[in-house]
Amino acid sequence: MLNVVKEQKGSALLVRLSGSVEESVNFDQLIGPPPPELIVSSKEIPRINSVGVKAWIKYFQSAQAKGTKLTFIECSTAIAEQINLISNFTCGGTVESIYVPFACTSCKSELVGLFKTADLKKLNLKLPELKCTKCGGKAVFDDIPEEYFGFLAR
Amino acid sequence: MSKRLLLISQRAEDKAFAAEVALEAGLDLLLAEDPIKGAELVDSQEPAVVFVDVTTEAQFVAFETALQEKVGLFSDKINLNAIHFLSSSDLTEVPFLIQSPIFGHFVFRNYGDVKVSGPHYGRIVKSSQAERAFDLTVLLKPGAKIQIVKLQSTSQKQEAVEAIKSYLEAAKFQTRMATSIANAVDELLMNAMFDAPIDEMGKTIYSQTPRSTVIALTGKHEVEMKVGFDGDYIAITAVDKFGSLDKVKLMKHIAKIYTDEEYKVKSSVAGAGLGLATVFHSGGSFYFVSESRTRTEVTVFFKRTDSYREFKDQFRFISTQFYF
Repeated sequence: MLNVVKEQKGSALLVRLSGSVEESVNFDQLIGPPPPELIVSSKEIPRINSVGVKAWIKYFQSAQAKGTKLTFIECSTAIAEQINLISNFTCGGTVESIYVPFACTSCKSELVGLFKTADLKKLNLKLPELKCTKCGGKAVFDDIPEEYFGFLAR
Repeated sequence: MSKRLLLISQRAEDKAFAAEVALEAGLDLLLAEDPIKGAELVDSQEPAVVFVDVTTEAQFVAFETALQEKVGLFSDKINLNAIHFLSSSDLTEVPFLIQSPIFGHFVFRNYGDVKVSGPHYGRIVKSSQAERAFDLTVLLKPGAKIQIVKLQSTSQKQEAVEAIKSYLEAAKFQTRMATSIANAVDELLMNAMFDAPIDEMGKTIYSQTPRSTVIALTGKHEVEMKVGFDGDYIAITAVDKFGSLDKVKLMKHIAKIYTDEEYKVKSSVAGAGLGLATVFHSGGSFYFVSESRTRTEVTVFFKRTDSYREFKDQFRFISTQFYF
């Protein structure tokens, strides 16, 4: 089930979504009528199914049609995957930052690092190594670069 | 048909893979380096199973032509449902295969360790040779534990999906892997609950019904989920009793991607039409078995790997078995 926390950030409404996005989601009820400026944080969305994707696009497309300026921040790996798979998933909005998956080469722990898309473009698919928060080992990017960062080339 | 597997390919990796498949499926391996020689062997040896390298459209046309000229596409000498296409291109790049009337099985040639992928696919081949291929136990290594869950209502889907995710995490799958597999289960169950049911005229009953609707899954609407893990592969099957799977529609959905073109929201149908393509893209393999108006079993397989990168790039296939 999806939950939302709303914050006013200057002229923009920031919505922090948490939970799975599936068939029970109703973005109209959850977020309400789209404001002129909407910032969406999906950091806490671990999973989205196909009907959830449809509901997402329907809501944000309608926001886009009403002239809402959309910005997506802190996109979880689940949301980043959809941004890559579906060309219009962000409905004309800007992706400001995404979580990037890493795995520790020693203890195999999973980690995520938050990167701004502008910085990712500069890195040209060469991600730095992170230090594992559990064992201190070397954590490396754990996905297919051409796929996970495919949206940057659009 | 003989107990032979004919491989038409010049590639060493295909030979290594086919040898492992044949061994597991209890078939003798025959080799042909080109489609003409392959068609001759179809004529003289009547192999039970044919693997053919169709990486390019030219190779596919050469195979189809040779087969047509030597034995005829609808000859008794070949079972069209036993032709397996081997390709280095992803499904979305080979529309000529999907649209072919002889499409039955697609193998994406990223075999990895053939000692693992070969026997795995060998079990699929063996199963497809049986009179009816409805049995998860033969698709996994011997000794794999199979659990069966009968769902009583559509409202139990999310609970089942979360239970699978927890089970996978306990079985040491990475969280992202567990999430991908849980998503696959979600899509399979949703299809079995809402897309499979048809009326007596063959019309879908719930095409416009919101997927959040609570429906009792009793009688003909019963949906079963089977879960098995053999140490390498996890297999999850969704079972419905309608046997309404349509191969053409199915392949159209799996091969559809929206990386370049826009996804258009259709209000006329409640489903999204995105689920199966996403599952295949995330590393899943499919085995579809359907007996018209009787039963459909859709099984998805994922290999447990050390990294998510390997998981997403794992050996994959789509296999279909239809009975009329």
